[in-house]
Amino acid sequence: MDGASATQQETYDYDVVRKFTIAAVIYGLVGFLIGDLLAWQLTYPDLNFSSPYLSFGRIRPLHTSAVIFAFGGSVMFATSYYVVQRTCKARLFSDALSKFTFWGWNLVVVAVVVTYPLGLTQAKEYAEPIWPIDVLVTLVWVAYFINFVGTLAKRKEPHIYVANWFYLAFIITVAMLHIVNNLQIPVNWTDSYSVFSGVQDAMIQWWYAHNAVGFFLTAGFLGLMYYFVPKQAERPVYSYRLSIVHFWAIIFLYIWAGPHHLHYTALPDWASTLGATFSIMLLLPSWGGMINGIMTLSGAWHKLRTDPILRFLVISLSFYGMSTFEGPMMSIKSVNALSHYTDWTVGHVHSGALGWVAMVSFGAIYHLVPRLWNTSIHSVGLINLHFWLSTIGIVLYIAAMWISGIMQGLMWRAYDQYGNLTYSFAETVEAMHPYYFVRSVGGVLFILGSLVMIYNLTKTIRKGHPV
Amino acid sequence: MADNKKETVKETVETTGHQWDDDEGYPLKEYNNPLPRWWLYTFYATIVWSVIYWILYPAWPLVNDYTRGVLGWSQYSQLEEELAEAREMQKVWDDKLATLSLEQISNDNTLLQYAISGGKAVFGDNCAPCHGSGGVGSHAKGFPALVDDDWLFGGTLADIEESVQNGRTGTMPAHEEKYDGALNAQQVDVLTDYVLSLSGLGHDAQKAVAGKELFEGEAACVVCHGDSGKGSLKDVAFGDPIDRSVGAPDLTDAIWLYGGDRTTIRTSIAKGRTGKMPAWGEGFSGFGRKLDPLSIKEVTLYVHSLGGGR
Repeated sequence: MDGASATQQETYDYDVVRKFTIAAVIYGLVGFLIGDLLAWQLTYPDLNFSSPYLSFGRIRPLHTSAVIFAFGGSVMFATSYYVVQRTCKARLFSDALSKFTFWGWNLVVVAVVVTYPLGLTQAKEYAEPIWPIDVLVTLVWVAYFINFVGTLAKRKEPHIYVANWFYLAFIITVAMLHIVNNLQIPVNWTDSYSVFSGVQDAMIQWWYAHNAVGFFLTAGFLGLMYYFVPKQAERPVYSYRLSIVHFWAIIFLYIWAGPHHLHYTALPDWASTLGATFSIMLLLPSWGGMINGIMTLSGAWHKLRTDPILRFLVISLSFYGMSTFEGPMMSIKSVNALSHYTDWTVGHVHSGALGWVAMVSFGAIYHLVPRLWNTSIHSVGLINLHFWLSTIGIVLYIAAMWISGIMQGLMWRAYDQYGNLTYSFAETVEAMHPYYFVRSVGGVLFILGSLVMIYNLTKTIRKGHPV
Repeated sequence: MADNKKETVKETVETTGHQWDDDEGYPLKEYNNPLPRWWLYTFYATIVWSVIYWILYPAWPLVNDYTRGVLGWSQYSQLEEELAEAREMQKVWDDKLATLSLEQISNDNTLLQYAISGGKAVFGDNCAPCHGSGGVGSHAKGFPALVDDDWLFGGTLADIEESVQNGRTGTMPAHEEKYDGALNAQQVDVLTDYVLSLSGLGHDAQKAVAGKELFEGEAACVVCHGDSGKGSLKDVAFGDPIDRSVGAPDLTDAIWLYGGDRTTIRTSIAKGRTGKMPAWGEGFSGFGRKLDPLSIKEVTLYVHSLGGGR
């Protein structure tokens, strides 16, 4: 046994996995804190303290970038590097590239944290970094791609495990999205002009942004799910056939869905229709991942009673199923006419982002840390506490946004018997105040859960030692 | 039932035979279960739904055109139809509003309710940012409350219409020397006491007497605020009526535009104040959005209704 683990130490590069895992946990907390500050600012606008650096417009992109790219990105790097090595029985392709991706990605995060509050942005949602940062992202991403594919190429297993298909699709597609959406002409070190203009620019932007959700937050994290759920449940994946069919269906269908963000705008009707119909056709392929994950537990349901890590993974799949049902519904033009520009959208995004992405990541991190530091978790009870704090926090968040969003949409379109608008815009804002408060409290619970995790993981790491 | 069935299926279904990550913990394996039927058929149903949608609505781009869909629908035609419907419904009322005078509209209760409903919508999007939802005003910024019966430039329909249409400017000049006024600090202090005394607020009676002298004499406050400080609408200056367009507030009614504490009143006297209501009528440029004549009528009737009229 000692001999076996000795070879294993030589074989796998866990160092970069450990670094990205720690980064993920820290960036997660930072992203959640900024998010909740924004939630409180919406409840009590004076909380921007009249500082331009804390104004909503500047730190909102900081929140989205921190949670998607700093937290989510670090989770992706950590888990994909771990999974690809273990399922290929091969060390990562290049130690140098691994190190470059870690320090490069962190440099991107630092650059973002500095530039956004200073007001340096290219004003594209989820693609705010100015062009020099875009270039750095591209370099890191190409290194990531080479490192990942290189590892697959030198694998000692005959077959490529399903998780790696999803990771690879995520890496390739995000590269394509990032490059195309950031095609621009720089005019100095901080400013540039997009090569697209008008509605074409809007279309490219939402093609990018929706597929950032589709390939970063869905495909990538499905890859994560396909490793950690069967591993933690100790059951075979439910259906190989389903994984093939829903993988290719997702890949083919998702990329068309972006125009549903631009219903009833200058976008041509035909593009709008395609966006809506492809979103509807995407529902079942998305659910394929949920079915495969949840059905993997058949015969092992009793483990949910004792294993809070599995509980994180399973509830994340439930939120995933819920938000991938909600999304296609919201893409239908008549539903969208009510939901668009309201808090309903914000709630929908967070049922996916908190419920699915963050929860499945927490499950994976709890699975990883004891294995990376060769020890056992400090406290299972605290994992359970984290689970309940997060779950209640998310439910408060989503429920508040459903109510306030639908109310907001209905108030905007309310007419009196004379055909005049019943409410002014300010009155709709006033009506949403209580729900903004509830949302902010939900965020506090989620942050508390995150702090509990940090305490638990710190204790765990202290008693272990890096393998 | 269903569960039992699944269990049997699972026992007969083999894994694919592939295996990964078997050096630690449970190795990764995959069952080769068939696609769940309900999943597959629902997936097909969404495809059929989409194809039908494509036939009915604009859907696929062609070289120089796109498939228009058999319903002939477009978002622009939908908008036009809905707007036409709304215009049709409001036309009966709007035609009357356009031709009748404000007084005539006031006398027709149904028409008045229609105008107030429209005026409320106009007010909410254009006036509320300064005057507050429902017209409560703001002391901090000196935006007058519109819900009381205290008016600076007059509360008749014609006065209000004039205020909205052409805007108003109310200027209180600075009086203290350090702000280029003519009075020294002590004189400003005694004037403050006199103004406080006018509405029965706490003041130094002796100073107020001195203040009264200034008010009527050197400081020339009476020219705008009137002999007894009741403002340009209600008072007279040296026996003559005051120009209504001055908009000098009544200092005796304990209703304050910027606040009625000693410090605020002193600041008003020392540094002066300028209140600006922008012009909303067509033909004006600058701050504010143009309101069409109908909207101005409606918002006038709405604001008039807030204070109960005068």
